[in-house]
Amino acid sequence: MNEHVQDDLEAYALGALDRGDAERVAQHLALCASCSNDAASLAEIVGTLPDTVALREPRPALRDRVLGAARAEARQATSRRSPRWSFGAVRLSRIAFAGLAAAVIVLGAADVEAYRRMVTVAAERDAYNRTLESLREGARLWYMAGKDSFAGSGGTLYEPRADGKQPFVLFHDLPPINEGQVLTIWLVSPDSAWARAATFRPNGQDIQVVQINTEVAGFDRCAVTLDDSPSGKHGTVVMESRIAPPTP
Amino acid sequence: MPEQHPPDDALLASLAARDLSALATLYDRYGRLAYSLAYRILGESEAAEDVVQDAFLSAWKGAGSYRRERGNPRAWLLSIVHHRAVDILRRKTTFRPAPLEMAESQPSDEDTAVSAEKNVEHRTVREALEALPQAQRRTIELAYFGGYTHVELSELMGVPLGTVKGRMRIGLQKMRRALERTR
Repeated sequence: MNEHVQDDLEAYALGALDRGDAERVAQHLALCASCSNDAASLAEIVGTLPDTVALREPRPALRDRVLGAARAEARQATSRRSPRWSFGAVRLSRIAFAGLAAAVIVLGAADVEAYRRMVTVAAERDAYNRTLESLREGARLWYMAGKDSFAGSGGTLYEPRADGKQPFVLFHDLPPINEGQVLTIWLVSPDSAWARAATFRPNGQDIQVVQINTEVAGFDRCAVTLDDSPSGKHGTVVMESRIAPPTP
Repeated sequence: MPEQHPPDDALLASLAARDLSALATLYDRYGRLAYSLAYRILGESEAAEDVVQDAFLSAWKGAGSYRRERGNPRAWLLSIVHHRAVDILRRKTTFRPAPLEMAESQPSDEDTAVSAEKNVEHRTVREALEALPQAQRRTIELAYFGGYTHVELSELMGVPLGTVKGRMRIGLQKMRRALERTR
């Protein structure tokens, strides 16, 4: 277990830590029941502060905007669950072409490099097929860009819509890390709670697939940290997504 | 606070089941408070409305991941509003620290008493906050509503970081004791 964060819990509860410190505390809280209980108790007190503000009426149209946005999201979620394309008896190469063309559109420029490598790295055919399958089912995609020593690398979290399909992250260009270190994938909820999703080491290949053994629904960001051990001390954030788009 | 029907937990369960009427009820219950909080932080109605829409949409999409141990549904929803509003405030503000007087001229609490007095629960919280020594109260308000980090507050107020942390700790402890006495 890494060092406790009691000294920063009040500032964390008040939202008065910078992003790096807040991430460090949130990651610790995900692992430490004692600090987590203290944080929850402080959050309860801080949660009363909104009661001190002057109450103002929003415009009535705001209610319609909120419900309209939710209705649109629900429609998109429903359409994602319906198969978009019927493949019939089309040959695999054509399916691959269509799938990859869709990948270019969906992933955007940031993942073009990953896409190109997907085509050329035959050894990663399994990942490639899985990607096609999840695209066929209308997967949700979150791209994480590497930073600092991980600049130039990246990872796309795929949340397949098909029943029984696990979410996974397709990484590209992961640099080697020191002996004993690991990379941890985190899912971040809208209220900034962090949940550990998977721990792994780079395999030295251009592309690497890591399975996520937890539900992705309900989280809206993800990140990767470079850690000194699989279960204890967390390190720096080396990759992170912006807020995930609601739909591809 | 009197129990509301349906209870907030049930509303979130309905949200997770994609029930739009539950979202409408949640908005009717907390939309005004959420907007007021966002406005208090941002001082602009348009930005505050964007934050509220974003927060309710996040709740709609994230209700399935809500865990009671992270706070009650109301606190959870308002924490999303707070995070989003402070994020925007920090992005749009070329930081800072501003002179203390400028920081304190942000939307004020001076007019809060009128509306807050109407609600006993709100009045109790406000009195607990007002009862704090000025330095503790100011530190908590500038952190929570002003979006200042504790490091910025240290510079802004011209006191060591440890003093800022101490003011936050003691101030929140006092608020807790005051609120417990009234329950």
